[in-house]
Amino acid sequence: MYSGAPSGGIAIGGGGGGRGRGGGRTWPSTTSVSTSGKRIHKEMTELSMEAPPDCAAGPKGDNIYHWVATLFGPPGTPYKGGIFFLDITFPSDYPFKPPKVVFKTRIYHCNVDPSGNVSLDILTENWSPALTISKVLLALRSMFTNPETYKPVVPGIAHLYLGDKAKHDEIAAQWTLRFAR
Amino acid sequence: MVNEAGNNGDDKVEGLLSPKFRSVAAMAGWDEEALLMASLVVEDTPDRLPKQKKRSDLLHFKTPPTNSRRKRRAQKRSPASITATVLDLDDQDTAKQESEKKEAESTSIEKLDKKGDEALEEQGCSVVTSSTKNIEPESIEKADTKVAEASEEQGCSVSFSSSAAFPSIDRLREELSCAICLEICFEPSTTPCGHSFCKKCLRFAADKCGKKCPKCRQLISNGRSCTVNTVLWNTIQLLFPKEVETRNAAADLSSREAKRHSPVRAVATHSNVTSSRTTRVLLLNSPESGPSSQERRNSHAMRRQSARASGMPSRNRDISSRRELPSQDGDAALALRMQREEFMESFRTRSSADEQYRSSLALARANLRAMASRAINIRVRGGRGS
Repeated sequence: MYSGAPSGGIAIGGGGGGRGRGGGRTWPSTTSVSTSGKRIHKEMTELSMEAPPDCAAGPKGDNIYHWVATLFGPPGTPYKGGIFFLDITFPSDYPFKPPKVVFKTRIYHCNVDPSGNVSLDILTENWSPALTISKVLLALRSMFTNPETYKPVVPGIAHLYLGDKAKHDEIAAQWTLRFAR
Repeated sequence: MVNEAGNNGDDKVEGLLSPKFRSVAAMAGWDEEALLMASLVVEDTPDRLPKQKKRSDLLHFKTPPTNSRRKRRAQKRSPASITATVLDLDDQDTAKQESEKKEAESTSIEKLDKKGDEALEEQGCSVVTSSTKNIEPESIEKADTKVAEASEEQGCSVSFSSSAAFPSIDRLREELSCAICLEICFEPSTTPCGHSFCKKCLRFAADKCGKKCPKCRQLISNGRSCTVNTVLWNTIQLLFPKEVETRNAAADLSSREAKRHSPVRAVATHSNVTSSRTTRVLLLNSPESGPSSQERRNSHAMRRQSARASGMPSRNRDISSRRELPSQDGDAALALRMQREEFMESFRTRSSADEQYRSSLALARANLRAMASRAINIRVRGGRGS
């Protein structure tokens, strides 16, 4: 599905069909001249200058298309005190296609499925190229405080949240204690 | 601390600057050197005040004549404000004016400095003096009340002249950058909802993410036909010439690369033109193309020929075929070639008999007439088509 971004290709014209793509996976160069690479670089520097509260994000290794982010469970929620790791994968035509965000830390949340995939509207059909990773992180943070219960990926958790919030919070806090610390 | 350093180190500064200015400078965090510089400025400004001409010359020197509207406006404004100063001078008594001027100047310097403009300090004498000179007339004109405004306005012109010191250049950069590529808008295009993006970015976003504004998700009627917001584009070109230059170079490079890799679907329109031109040239050079291109311009030559008594039609023909204009009608080309062969055939048999020659001449004439009429028809059709 994700097979590397064009290394030095013109993403505007190719849309992922860069010339640098050989057989198998090619690693995009760090000093990318492609639009996606440039934009990711810009976001990286901006994030390092002023990160949103309780968030951190940056490239995993040399590949700037693969990031790791950490979210701290905001106080006042059952996720308080937890540190949640996320994997962010940028598509090669990044600003025009949403990044893929996956929770690496298990979390009891109606919008995060057991394998960690997040169902957030701005990460799917409501993605806009004007959104940035810092905005996505903010959205994820607000997801901690206000779960989207009308379109859950785990309906059971949403039901519990709507029916018995205290119980839901208890389980979520337990999970946070168990997995996110 | 700064104040102390000034006190200890420089008696000259002490004598020249008013205590108020010194305190203000200390607040703005001026170091000793800057203070000394300022003292020099303060020292010679009163003398220069009446010499309007000299200052305006200086201003013109700093902003070289350009085509840009903005710069011209900045130039225009400066002399105007100077004349206003003259009027003010007439109104007020000079002593009051002098003190007021000093105060206004110092406050405006401080304001400018407070804008976080450290570059001004670093640049040293030349810029500091020039900026203060710039500020001086207008801050006097508006007195103390509107000093902040004046200094801000003058800050713009300072940045144009020195192109390094702009109080809120970062904010401007933020404001004028495209939300999609996060760089300074290149050929900005504005949506009906009022958001501006690079033309390319917006078009690409419309293609890939639907015809919605990336910022507010309002419907963009047709993302395809984005037009450049010229005012914004000109402003950006004036404010960020370096960025525009680099983007221009990058665009050039990429388009050239694209052309090299796939000449058929070249990005720029001009490259399309050139490619079609090359095909034309190829057609002209290829053996089949000769007659085909003949067709069109024959319409002229044939008319001439038929009007003239065609003594040596074949030679005429050769000459005309040499200055062909290209055309790409394959069918017509084939027909013409066949006709030409026929035509040549008839002339080859000429030597055998005079009578035959005459008849063949008549045949040739008929042929020519037919060709001419066909060429005209084709031309008319082509003209209607294009």
